[in-house]
Amino acid sequence: MKRLSMVQLVHNELTSFSAVFQIGDSKEITSRVKVLAVQRQQELFFGNEGEVTFPIFTNPIPRLAIDTTSLQINKLNESPAISVRTIRVLAIAFSAVVHIGSTSTIDTEARIKHTRQLASNSGAEPALVAPQASIRIIKDESSCLQ
Amino acid sequence: MNFTVINRELQVGDVHIIAVTSSAVFLIGDADIINVASAFDTPPEALIIGPFVPLTPRG
Repeated sequence: MKRLSMVQLVHNELTSFSAVFQIGDSKEITSRVKVLAVQRQQELFFGNEGEVTFPIFTNPIPRLAIDTTSLQINKLNESPAISVRTIRVLAIAFSAVVHIGSTSTIDTEARIKHTRQLASNSGAEPALVAPQASIRIIKDESSCLQ
Repeated sequence: MNFTVINRELQVGDVHIIAVTSSAVFLIGDADIINVASAFDTPPEALIIGPFVPLTPRG
């Protein structure tokens, strides 16, 4: 038997990008997301970007194969409930799950490719420079090291 | 394998989380199986300093 979940107050601002915010029991949750995050110093989009497949979106991620047949779980619920006063979650995103209540199976997967493009100090190629692009370029060392 | 769990009283006060992301799970309750995976790719070549080029699988 599963326990009862009691929460007096929940506050959530944002649930996005294939995330799940579940109140109540569930049986099975499967959540998948593929993200191509591109940051360019200038506002520029080539139109057909993202149509090709990157290896990170197709390569298999090793998973633990759980063999429940050889596992005997004995649960004794001396207290039938879990109680929480308040939960504040600012954001739930990218295949994440916030679940109040019991479930059987949760399976999530997030694949994120992050690319940053900064203009060189000599400036970008003239054809690709935005009209107002007489900008001073400072390489952000801190974000390079993250 | 035998695995015994005794769930005694569980009372929590205030939980404050900024974000649950990238296939993480925050669960108040019971579950049988939780399987999560996340792949994040930001290799050195993901930072391109120079002309703005279209994205390609090799860089």
